[in-house]
Amino acid sequence: MSATQTIQLTINGLPRSAVAEARVTLADFLRDRLGLTGTHLGCEQGVCGACTVLVDGDAVRSCLMLAVQVDGREVVTVEGLADAAGMHPVQEAFWESHAFQCGFCTPGFVLSTVALLRENPDADEHDIREALSGNVCRCTGYQSIIEGVVAAARAAREVGGQR
Amino acid sequence: MIQPGGARSVGTSVRRKEDPRILTGQGRYIDDVVLPGMVHAAFVRSVVPHGRLHGIDVSAARALPGVLAVYTGEDIKARTNAVQPGSIIGVNMMPGMKTPSFHALATDKVRFIGDPMALVVAETRYIAEDACELVIENCEPLAAVVTYEHALDPDRPPLFDELGDNIAMTGEMTIGDIDAVFARADRVVRATISVHRHQNVPMEGRGSIAAWDEEKGQLTFRTSTQSPHMVKMLMAPQLNLPMEKIRVIAGDVGGAFGLKTGLFREDVALAAAAMDLGRPIKWIEDRGEHLAASGQAREEMADIEAAVSAQGLLLGVKMDVKLNSGAYPCDPFPGAMYVGSISASFQGPTRIEAIAARSTAIFSNKATYVAYRGPWATADFLRERLLDIIAREFSIDTVEIRRRNYVVRDRPPLNMLSGQSFAGVTTMESLDQAAALVDWNAFRDRQRSARGEGRYLGAGVASYLEAAPGPRTPGTESEGGILGDEVTHLSLEHDGKVVVITQQHPHGQGHETTLAQVAADELGVAFEDVTVRYGDTDITPPALVATGGSRAATMANGAVLHGSRQLRMNLIELSADLLEASADDLRIESGAIRVAGSPNVTLTLRELARIVEEEPDRLPTGAGDKLRVTQSYDGGLGGWSGGTHCCFVEVDIDTGLVRIDRYLVVEDCGVPVNPAIVEGQVRGGIAQAIGAVLLEHSAYGDDGQFLAGTFMDYLLPTTTVVPNIEIHHLDTIPLDPHVNFRGVGEGGMIVAPAAITGAIEDALATLGVNVREQHLPPNRILELVGTIPAR
Repeated sequence: MSATQTIQLTINGLPRSAVAEARVTLADFLRDRLGLTGTHLGCEQGVCGACTVLVDGDAVRSCLMLAVQVDGREVVTVEGLADAAGMHPVQEAFWESHAFQCGFCTPGFVLSTVALLRENPDADEHDIREALSGNVCRCTGYQSIIEGVVAAARAAREVGGQR
Repeated sequence: MIQPGGARSVGTSVRRKEDPRILTGQGRYIDDVVLPGMVHAAFVRSVVPHGRLHGIDVSAARALPGVLAVYTGEDIKARTNAVQPGSIIGVNMMPGMKTPSFHALATDKVRFIGDPMALVVAETRYIAEDACELVIENCEPLAAVVTYEHALDPDRPPLFDELGDNIAMTGEMTIGDIDAVFARADRVVRATISVHRHQNVPMEGRGSIAAWDEEKGQLTFRTSTQSPHMVKMLMAPQLNLPMEKIRVIAGDVGGAFGLKTGLFREDVALAAAAMDLGRPIKWIEDRGEHLAASGQAREEMADIEAAVSAQGLLLGVKMDVKLNSGAYPCDPFPGAMYVGSISASFQGPTRIEAIAARSTAIFSNKATYVAYRGPWATADFLRERLLDIIAREFSIDTVEIRRRNYVVRDRPPLNMLSGQSFAGVTTMESLDQAAALVDWNAFRDRQRSARGEGRYLGAGVASYLEAAPGPRTPGTESEGGILGDEVTHLSLEHDGKVVVITQQHPHGQGHETTLAQVAADELGVAFEDVTVRYGDTDITPPALVATGGSRAATMANGAVLHGSRQLRMNLIELSADLLEASADDLRIESGAIRVAGSPNVTLTLRELARIVEEEPDRLPTGAGDKLRVTQSYDGGLGGWSGGTHCCFVEVDIDTGLVRIDRYLVVEDCGVPVNPAIVEGQVRGGIAQAIGAVLLEHSAYGDDGQFLAGTFMDYLLPTTTVVPNIEIHHLDTIPLDPHVNFRGVGEGGMIVAPAAITGAIEDALATLGVNVREQHLPPNRILELVGTIPAR
């Protein structure tokens, strides 16, 4: 089980190279090797969505993917969204909406929402509820999160573009 | 809504201070902490529900490269003292209570699926888990004790041999003249009502890092907890360390809901291992361990006889209550203690005149019973379900039955049977407003016409009181109860900013924000200039329970309010000397002392703090002490939280699926400090109740096998299950001259199961369905309507 492999990837816009055992999950690789602890593990069973990251732009569960599978690919975690100008509009909208409480599920919701709004900028409440049904939050009852997504979609339309 | 600094902050939905870090991945949860030289732990757990442990072979595990140590139950027993659960607060001495003593890891017996038997420490978690697979135990299975019947069966083996049977607690309680009310009753209504086992399931499970400093003889224990001081207090005797040699640090906590109030057995083993190895050890629970072994809740039932008048008035009840407390009693709150709270809290807002109860808690081969958001919630479920049952028997509408039974403020009875005052109670207002908002009569018309189309609509209503902390009972010292008064430190720091050190340990409740709102308003400083600190037993005031029991709104805000007023007086007193003005003419606004009538004379708090530090000669001796205040708060005159919930459902009798069409709350939690945070608490509690009724079940087979070990078996409510929830705030009746913020953490969870099950029963009423349980997943609905045979 100790076979290792060098993984080269683009992480949050920067090239990185790191060695990992073949059996290491992407989530553990991000957290333990790259120190990106914003990606949280809520179940390690692919159900709760807390570990969601973007791989080549698609929202994936990093607990169900092996690190070796991202060799040569582009990964974005919750740490990669804010820039010098401030938080990502999705993060801003969630802040304004009091979307979250304990914050543990939050990174997964943020990245699932970024992916959703890229795919469907005009998502309505029904679309949002369907798209986020794979992310579990135990604190909020979801309403504040949905309101945050609606607000983020509205803000994106108002600036006439997206980041 | 953003409140500019200086304007009044309390009552507005100020954006949370916590959010920038949690939204950008900068939160610091326990698994994010990495210490130099840190190694990793995994537990070997029992796959047998009940058995005698004759031996455990860890040699292969110890030999695996990368493994540093393997500790068996006997190894940990040799390094620690046994726990006497509940002894720190005297719960073990309660009449009728039996609390066995035991060790962190199983030694002679295993008592539930997931019982920790050995602890592996390795260079990585991956290796530790590999090593767990190599451990071989010699375990002789015993008959499992799963149900109440099993526990009361003398032929089943006791979990704890020294106790002789599986009875954890027995008690009796009678308040009021029970015989008289039954003699007066026009009818006696009987029902057996049950609540199934389900659990807290915070998104972050348990986890800790133990680090031992041999030179100082000090243990630093980092953990995901609601109550850092409790962990320290409970750990000391088991590790044989003086309390001052233990420091507990907790950072961001990914939810708890009552689970993380005490000390877990795994934590004791982890600390003992770290002290032995001299390396920091991290243990992060995985979800399988969490579901099987962190703790589970509820699982209670009651046989009820109700004395009812011809008008449907509930005069009194006799109840026989049972609680399944699982295996090892929780420290410091053994599950068995909650069985008495069910009859003690049954009355709620009703005018009931007498209660007689017999209570029995049992041990079983299931996970430890733990507190879960509103630990007395079954009391509310029993009462509200019973009112619905009476309503149906008497053909009275469910709103009307409540109008007849609930107390009206300032009319007799003025006190509950327990003696606690009904002062300021607004249950009736909440019921009236809810009924008006939902247009109850129009719904009944819609329901009738839908039935003509073969559709089943139903409405449920339920009300509650949440003692958070409840009105002060005349003649009592404090509303803090056994948990005591709330203590807060406040200070003006050298940079002119304010620091509040709270005994709370928020884990989603937003106290960094709400306590800062209160302090900012009272002190006259910007919200941005107040920092709330917590989570380190070296700096925070001791507290048995830090955040729990819906205490923070009244107790923590109250301590901050009064402490801020004291600090403000101190600052004005110091400034009066410097400005040669009368203290009466001074006020603090926007972070500066201002003099009435002299708009050009100001002294910023930053400058004041600088003078105190650098030019103390300008001030009387001891001025520096004036910048620090320690405030204790006893809860003042307190007051009720409470309200009414209405739930509307449609039940598909072909699939058994329940859709919640509308959910409405009318509630009174005093003065909301931050309405968005209050509403988040209410909605979150209701979401957990929806999960409890429609999905969640910590299921065990009759053989003691655990059947809900993954999120594919233990289903949580998602975005497609939880509807939008309308919340209306009532104008509260203030009882205290200063502090009328009231707790709101538990209310949603304690009352919503009754509103939801009531709605489902109402939908199916024409099919003759009687709902006497709380768990109504699709298969149970199909059984109830007769689509499939009942098991």
